[in-house]
This record gives sequence, structure tokens and C-alpha cells, in this order.
Amino acid sequence: MNYQQAYHLARTNGEEIVPTVCGMCGPGGPGGGCGIYAFVKNGRFTKVAGMDESPVNKGAICAKGHAAPQWVYSADRLTHPLRRIGKKGEGKFEKISWDEAIAHIAEKLRQQKTIYGPESLAILAPAKRSYNDYLKRFLTAHGSPNYGHSGICAMQRAFAFTYTLGDYPRPDYDQSDMIIYWGRQPIYSGPVARPARAFLAAKRRGAKIIAIKPSVEPDVGMADTWIPVRPGTDAALALAMLNVVIGEDLVDHAFIEKWCYGFNRLKVHVRQFTPQWAEKICGVSPDQIKEIAYLYATTPRATIDLGNGVEHSPSSSDAIRAVALLMAVTGHLDRPGANLFIAPPKNAPRDISLKKRYSKALLAKLVGPEFPIAFQPFLEGLSSAYYRIFESVLSEKPYPVRTIIAPGTQPSVSTRGTKQVIAALQKLDFFVVVDVARTADMPYADIVIPVATGYEVNHPFQMVPGWLMATRKVIEPVGEGKSIFQFFLDLGVAMGYGEDFWDGDIETAMDDQLAPLGMDMQGLRLQPTGVNYQQTDHVFEKYAKVFNQSSPRLGFPAYLPQGKVALYNTSFEAAGFSPLPRWHEPPESFSGTPELAQQYPLILADYHTSKNFSASWQRNVPLLREIQSEPVLHIHPNAASTRQIKDGDWIKVKSPHGWLKVKAELYPGIRPDTVMILHGWWQGCKELGIDDYPLLDGGANVNNMYSVDPARAYDPLVTAMTSQTLVQVKKWEVA
Amino acid sequence: MATSGNELLIAFDPEKCTQCAGCQIACKSWRELPFGVQFRRVLNLWTGRYPRVKSTSLSLSCLHCVTPACAAACPEKAIVKRVENGLVEVDSALCIGCRLCAAACLYGVPQFGVNDTMVKCDLCPGLSKNGAAPPCVETCPGEALTLIGISSSEKLLHEEQIIRLLSMHNRSETKEPMCRSF
Repeated sequence: MNYQQAYHLARTNGEEIVPTVCGMCGPGGPGGGCGIYAFVKNGRFTKVAGMDESPVNKGAICAKGHAAPQWVYSADRLTHPLRRIGKKGEGKFEKISWDEAIAHIAEKLRQQKTIYGPESLAILAPAKRSYNDYLKRFLTAHGSPNYGHSGICAMQRAFAFTYTLGDYPRPDYDQSDMIIYWGRQPIYSGPVARPARAFLAAKRRGAKIIAIKPSVEPDVGMADTWIPVRPGTDAALALAMLNVVIGEDLVDHAFIEKWCYGFNRLKVHVRQFTPQWAEKICGVSPDQIKEIAYLYATTPRATIDLGNGVEHSPSSSDAIRAVALLMAVTGHLDRPGANLFIAPPKNAPRDISLKKRYSKALLAKLVGPEFPIAFQPFLEGLSSAYYRIFESVLSEKPYPVRTIIAPGTQPSVSTRGTKQVIAALQKLDFFVVVDVARTADMPYADIVIPVATGYEVNHPFQMVPGWLMATRKVIEPVGEGKSIFQFFLDLGVAMGYGEDFWDGDIETAMDDQLAPLGMDMQGLRLQPTGVNYQQTDHVFEKYAKVFNQSSPRLGFPAYLPQGKVALYNTSFEAAGFSPLPRWHEPPESFSGTPELAQQYPLILADYHTSKNFSASWQRNVPLLREIQSEPVLHIHPNAASTRQIKDGDWIKVKSPHGWLKVKAELYPGIRPDTVMILHGWWQGCKELGIDDYPLLDGGANVNNMYSVDPARAYDPLVTAMTSQTLVQVKKWEVA
Repeated sequence: MATSGNELLIAFDPEKCTQCAGCQIACKSWRELPFGVQFRRVLNLWTGRYPRVKSTSLSLSCLHCVTPACAAACPEKAIVKRVENGLVEVDSALCIGCRLCAAACLYGVPQFGVNDTMVKCDLCPGLSKNGAAPPCVETCPGEALTLIGISSSEKLLHEEQIIRLLSMHNRSETKEPMCRSF
């Protein structure tokens, strides 16, 4: 609804409205930025309506957005800073004040900085949130490069794309005649409205929609063609598509001639990747591979929307590079209806991550580089891989991290290798949890910092392309928590970094960031529905510019040394990696470990997004839990019936690394050789009397099921840990 | 679809639904419904067999039927159909919670709340003032739900369309019927 409608409706019901930004994709400010009207009755946050005026969601809001009041008032909310008094893992805490908590952390960090060096601190990054730059700023001010990025989200695609094409090519949904959604969930990933509307509009326009993923989600239900690929084998499929496109000479010779480097070597290289070869790995028939390769190459306005699904295997960078090469050799780059190079917005807030202070010395201290040292820093700055930080605690190589801060992220359910993560948390010197509600790892925390949600504070601002909006306080904080921004400001001041932290004043910090936009927070708050910015018209075929773009490495050398698409990648070759994309088997698979498949005959993978939960959060919200009360494994009816499993039965799912106890959902839209479950299950719901599930064996935490073998579970170039294994599934027998 | 006529309806278009469930939770939140009581449900309907399997979406709530089976089944005459707008209304003072309406409804609409009397979608008359639509309609990103006024014959066609969708669901190989079988 619009402002007037919301205002009048609220008045009729004796309520007030606060126009603000939805906070459900992340604590203390998501990256999505859907505009909402928050309804307040007698000081209590009651309901949410989508804001028509927001160009992001245009009045729509998702299930999570509507459930916000229940999340804010949840029985699992953290309301006081806590200090651990029991043993690690026991969960015994005493209440302390905010100032005591800050002083305690600062003292510990100062001690460790003196004894072990500043790099002994790592801060884990959640998904991209509006506060991530504050984590980076704190780390750089402190002197540590160990920003713990997941290694499985967005940056993996960005890396393989930029070092192949000079930029991350975005699908031109609006003009395409054929859209391939590849490992992508356009409905639930991020803000609900934009990608969903683009998907529906393309379908209405008559664009052909092809979905490549192991199971049928609602977008697949509406697609023209479903390619049910085995999890983790996208590289094999993409390489075979390259084989067809190049072998059948369906390429754009003029574009290759002028703008690509190394075509002849690629041509020889891909001969080995026949559709017959790929079928054994990815489970897609040669006919279907040929058909989509031919369709893509011969449809002038064809685009690929490559999703997060390809970022979870040791062959992830190969898959992304092979897709990038498909776009390039068929001339589907920066042309109408293809994949576009989007110019950065003219109006942007100040980058406060202190990247200018990066040095070779700082870079050399990375404890577990997410990308190889030769390619650091990357777009989000310096980064260590999230899981490798825990690995360092256990292996003490190259040195052990001593303090981990987890702001809005839950390592024991977010990253692979739960057993190893918990062992590392047991061993770790100092662990700080900073979150809105109880987290899975909280029992191991030394200090717990309660965070005020975005509905309880007057910052930050949200900037998405075309829109700038103030977060407004809807209600007074329900506990003693402050915002996650204020936490880093207060800690910065306590550490003696006050000059870098606006002397602790959040309003000054926000104004500093807004300055390049000619705006301050006070001015922005006067705009009830934010400020809209004109977006510039797209200029096509900017090849000379994009292929010469600077990378974020020290000294800013270009991504592409030849000023052309790196079909053959000399930068990777020079750093000791394959110059051409190849196939790497996952740690466990039908084609890689056939002997293991005898004992574990099904492939297991997981879903990373859902309509009702944000990652491993919000299972404690009754409205959201009602949609999906229990963890379910999607299993094909044939696979279920051979095991005497009926819909709703409890089952045991066992991999070589762990086991789950979950319910079966008979799911006709999944490969019969594959089973899948949503990741992030651990939390109970006190309001509904549902208990927590164990984090390790016997629970529903899929991360406990995967290999973390350093030699086999990682993509060597972009980390991308595997989230795929082999399992046996049995009906649960009551002992 | 025409938008003139005095049979009010929240029409559903499966081609525009992405199963985000925003409508279902908007309804629950705005109407403050307790756990288990759902005026609107989003269903996934399977047809075909792997690999030619299809899924279709259905967001379902009371259709305010032209000839409401629930009203005919009610022994207390607690359910009436309004002539002026086609709404099917429940008088909770008369309802005895016998659930005969639930057995009669083809769509599984009647719900029984805290007082054990029948509750269901009433098109949110109190919320759709000032030009705003009911919360389920307002929140839908694909405009799959629209509040319209149509003729009786048009509404019958819509009822048939929903029945066809539900039949798909009841024939599917996995699910217990969520609604009465046909």
C-alpha cells in the first residue's frame, strides 16, 4: 500500500505507522532493502505492509517480512549481554552490562594483539548485510586481514567471472527470448519482488525458460524445460555444452576474433568433454545437452542467470568459467537480451572499509585465503575462508586464530564440517556471539552481545540501485541491546581506535557515509519513502572498457592482461592453476567413488534458500514454522517405495561423515537418485513447544554430512566447499 | 476477467503465483490467527512423472460460492450468502461448531478457532478501505490474487477452475488429499 493508505488505515484502527526498511534478511539491516510500513499499536509492533513507493518491492512483502513482529518479540530474543560461567558448551551464563561486555572483549583483544599479533582475531562475515563494512573496518584498524567470508556465496561467481570476462555479467531479463536459470532460485533468494517479477514478466512475454537444477521448485514448475542435473556436476554439463557449441561451430567468430584470447587452445581442450562423457557425471542425456547448447547458441537474445547452486563444489570455478566462456564464444555479452555489463551506479555512499590501508604485509597474514594470495584483495577486500579459520584453530597452521567474533552468523550450522567446527570452538581461546536471538553456537561463547533489530534503532540507511532510504525506529528496543553498528563503534573506541570509529557516534558515522550523496541522516529521515535516483540508460557492447577494467589487487592491475576475454587464462596459469576449465570430482560421487556408491546409493545436497527462513535463523518464529514445522528430506516416490518409506515417515539419512534423523517428504519433482534437505535446521520454537535438534549426529543439520577433506572438498581457486555427498536412507526403526 | 458484477471474489491466477507464501502469512498476521488456523493456504500441486513432472501453484481461500455448500449443510442456519455482494458470512453466535460445513466444503475452507466456531476468509472488509486491497492481495509480488466483482456465471467458472486444480492435487502420487476427493 502507499503512504496515504497506510496512514489512514492505521488511524482508523488507532495505530501509527513507521515507514522503514524490512529487517528480516539479516540482523541489524539486511542487504535487500524492501520498503515497509510498520504498524504500531500502544507502543507494540503489530503488523507489516509492503511499501508501494519502494522500487525494490513495490508494495509486495514476503512471508518472513510479515512475520517480523513475532521475531522481534520472540522468546529466543537476546536481551542482556552475557558472560559464560559454566564450561564451554554447557550454556551457563551470567548477565553483565553492555559496558562491561565491551571492556571485557577489548581487554582480551589487546592482550592477544600484544602476544600473538592482531591477525589472531578473525571476524566471521554473515551473508552480505548493511553492516559488513563495519566488520572490515574494525579488522583493518586492528591490523588483521581475517574477514571470514563463507567461500560459497556470490564472490565465487564474481571471481571466476571477473578474471574471465572483466566483470560479472547480469542477465537482461527484460529483453531476453530465452532465460536459463542455472542453479538459481529466482523466487526466494533475496528480496521477493524484483527477480520474481522479472521471471513472471519474461514468462508472460513468451520467453523460453529453462531451469537447470536437481529438483523442481516453483520456478521450475513454470519453466518450459527442466534439466535435472546431479548436484555438484554443473562444470561437466557446461563443459559438454562448450564441446557442442564449438564442435558444431555455433560460435560468433567475429566476436572471438576481436575480443577473445586463446580460442584455438580452448577448441582443442573441449574436444574431450563430449555429451556422452558428461552424461555419466551429471546424469543429463546427451540429447538434452545438445538441445540446450544449440538453443542457447542460436537464440540471439539468450541469457544465463547463474545462481548460488554452482558455488558448492570443488569444480565450482570450472563451472562458472565454462559458463562465462559459453557466453563469450556465442557472443552473448553486453548485447540486448544477453548478459550485460552493468555500469556501477553514479551515486554511491562512501566506502568505509579502510581498503586504502591494505598492504603486502597485511595480505601475507591471511590465515586461510578465500582466493589465492596472488588474487587478493578481491571485490569485498581481503578475506579468509570462513571454514579455514576454524581449520587453523585445530591445525595451528599457518597459525591458530585466537578470537572469533560471530556477528549474525552461526558457524556450527552455516559452514561445513560441524564436528570440526565444534571441536574448534571447544579449543578456541575466545568466542564472541553477536546476534538478535539465541544462536546454535551460543553455548560455546565467552561473551554474548544482544543486538537490537532494525526495527528498534534509527540506522542505518539502505542504498540499493535507484533508492536511498532511512531505517526508522519502530519501537523501543525490547532489551538492553544496541545495534550491531554501535557494537563495533563502541568496541573500536574501547580499543583506542576512536578516531577511526567516529568517536563512537553512530549519527556521525552514517553522515560520513552519506556525504558523497549530498545527504545526511536527518535530511533523509524527512523523506518518508526515501529518495529515488534516476538510473542511467544502458550502453551496450562496452568491450574495450570492460575488458580493460582494473582488479582490486594491490596496485590495481587489470583483470584481463590481454584486454580480451580470457578463454585461455594466463593469470591463473602464472599462479599455478589450470588456464582452462576442467572437471574435478566431488569428494563422494557416483562417477568419482563408485565403490562408495554401493553402500551409499543416493546423492545428498541441500537447499540454501527457502520462502520462510533466512539460512539457519527464524525457525523460532511461529508464523514461519507453521509453513514448515519439521525438517524434511525430499525423496522421489520410487526411491522411497523401494525402502518402504511413506510420506511423513521419520527416516535415518547416513553419509560417510554423519547422520540425520528427519522426516521424508515424497517429492515427485526430484531426480530419483538424489535427495535434498533445507540447510540450517537446529532451532526449536518455544512458543510452539518444539525443542532444538542436536547439532551433530541424530539432528537435522545437513552440514554435519559433508566431507571437509582439505585435499578434496575445496575448489582450489575459489574455496567453494562441497555441499554434496552420498547417503543411504532408511526408515527410522524405534528401538 | 470482467470486473463488474456483485459477486465479490479474490480471484487466483496460477500463472502468476510463485508460491512465496506471502499471502498466507500476511493473512495470518493481519487477522491475528492462532497456530493451525489458516484462512488462506498455498499449495503445490504435482502432475506427471519424472522427468516430465510439473508443479502448479494454488493459493486458496473461501471463494464465497454462488451456491455455498457450507450454508446448505449448516443445521443452525449460521451461514448466509449476502445478495448485495455475494459474501458468505458466518454468525458465530449461532454456530455450534458441528463441522458439517467443513465436511460439505469442497475446498477445505472452514477453520475452527479458539471458540471452536467456524471462521474463514471474509475478504477483510475492515482492511480494504482507502483503496487498499486485502493484505493477501496487497502483498502478492506477481498479482496472482485480485479482488474483483463478477457475475454469478463468471464466478461459477472460477469455482470450476479451482476444482480442476484441486483434482490434480488429489490425484498426485504423494499426498493425502488436503481437500475432499472428487
